[in-house]
Amino acid sequence: MSHLHHETSAPWRIGVLFSRTGFMSVVEDTQYQGTLLAIDEINDAGGVCGRQLVPLAYDPGSEASAYGHLAKRLMIEDEVSTIFGCYTSSSRKAVLPVVERLNGLLWYPTLYEGFEASPNVIYTGASPNQNSLALCRHLMDHYGTRFYFVGSDYIYPRESNRVMRELLKTNGGAVVGERYVSVHARWQDFLPIMQDIRRLKPDVIFSTVVGEATAYLYQAYANLGLDPRRMPIASLTTTEAEIAAMGFDVGEGHITAASYFQGVESDSNCAFVQAFKKRYGNDVSTNMCAEASYFQVHLFARALEQANTLDTDVLRSMVLGSSYDAPQGTVTVNPQSGHADLWTRIGRANRAGQFDIIDESHAAVHADPFLIGYGRATAHAG
Amino acid sequence: MSEALRKPAPAREPAGRKSVIQELADLSAVVVAPADDQTSLLVRELQRLRMRVRQVWPMPESVPGDADVVYCEYAPDLARRLPWIPGDARSALVVIVPATDPIQPEALANATPDAVLPRPFTANAVLSSIVLARSQFGYERRLRGKIERLDENLRSMRTVERAKAILMATRRMQETEAYSFIRRQAMDRRVSASAVAAAIVDSFELLGYDQHTDPQ
Repeated sequence: MSHLHHETSAPWRIGVLFSRTGFMSVVEDTQYQGTLLAIDEINDAGGVCGRQLVPLAYDPGSEASAYGHLAKRLMIEDEVSTIFGCYTSSSRKAVLPVVERLNGLLWYPTLYEGFEASPNVIYTGASPNQNSLALCRHLMDHYGTRFYFVGSDYIYPRESNRVMRELLKTNGGAVVGERYVSVHARWQDFLPIMQDIRRLKPDVIFSTVVGEATAYLYQAYANLGLDPRRMPIASLTTTEAEIAAMGFDVGEGHITAASYFQGVESDSNCAFVQAFKKRYGNDVSTNMCAEASYFQVHLFARALEQANTLDTDVLRSMVLGSSYDAPQGTVTVNPQSGHADLWTRIGRANRAGQFDIIDESHAAVHADPFLIGYGRATAHAG
Repeated sequence: MSEALRKPAPAREPAGRKSVIQELADLSAVVVAPADDQTSLLVRELQRLRMRVRQVWPMPESVPGDADVVYCEYAPDLARRLPWIPGDARSALVVIVPATDPIQPEALANATPDAVLPRPFTANAVLSSIVLARSQFGYERRLRGKIERLDENLRSMRTVERAKAILMATRRMQETEAYSFIRRQAMDRRVSASAVAAAIVDSFELLGYDQHTDPQ
């Protein structure tokens, strides 16, 4: 019996894959922080079934292919079956064949373009019906119908723009320009785009620029002295982390749609923000990606408590349909798609680098990654 | 066994499907195994199938990934030595399994072989392994391709639906009429239906939005 007891106190080993270096570290580092915070909270409370969670973390250095190789290393050499990680869709798609072939489970805490539902992934970031839809409606109601698209050149921005273009057209709007920049873009790459924007005078600049380049886009805008009250940059990816990188004054007045902002008022969020600041410093802010990274570890721990095994098939069946009182509000993993039902919020950046929440859903919005239940229902109310 | 069964299979019609043996001819194979009598038998049998065979030993840090088929000696760290990530293999893989030395089931599973070839080899065992490996590898690759196309079709269907709605509203077409219009245009122009649909949707936007013909 003593041998058995010894066996059951062995830690649960889990994989963590976020870039702490390279151009994506500005946000992925906060996802890493959110993940570790939740792991420590669970361990401090006695672990799961009396066993501690032990993270094995690698830094893919913002290289998409490195995610695939490190996922292979985690699953084969480290014998880990559950991995928390990935921000960009390119990195998710690099990990996908590995977890699908070896039957692992990837927990993906990032908004993405939808049109995917792998049996080996739990999606805890927003899909388009949980952010693009409300953002499009809000922008058309308050600013106008002519949109200019700027994005980083990889899967997510192009697919996300495809969805936004369709929403716009359905509701009588138009795309007056569409430009893509390298994920390694520098500030000067945005100068010709800003000239183009000044010439075309769109009502809204819709940005899917991610990572370090985000700051250069907003700075180029600010340098031209353009006015966010008339022509805001609207984004699904600019969080408190990117605002901090560009400067609070540069970000002020611009719009982001997200499931979570640090300013959400709830007991659960209050505790999360306090714990985050206590651990990482008073001047750092939480954001939607850090929050999803945080609550998905808690969702995982709840399911593991029931399953008492990291076996993907058993664990996944416990995760599907489960709920958690997350900082953004109660979230539930939709059993059909493995995507979380999340809240929809529109925020406007203020002078303090935080978002004032100017619109929000009354409840969590059902995840609809394939946009099956929308169409006529989204028709512009105006 | 009757005489009829002993006879070699009749040659196929030129226009018919290639026989399994014909499909194997001219494929390249890498055999990662020590040079011994067993390996010679394996190489000889593969060559008899008219495959181009290269033998490699000692076990390299990274197994060559440029052949159609790789025969590779089992090793506890074989998965790590494969030059691809699981789920994205570039060659069919046959793992050579020792006759009596114990092997780790996890290590074998992680290598995700398409077939195994246990020692000692026989001509039939070699033939079975190559047929099975090619068949499994090909089938998995076709399924992956099919999923990719399904993903793409899923997205383009939305565009086709939108184009259909525009045609129905602006040209007073019936639903089936609108679909066949898109199909016919695609055939005439030798492009995909989704490309035609995208062009219709784009031009509708360019020509301007008219409340009275709003397909919504």
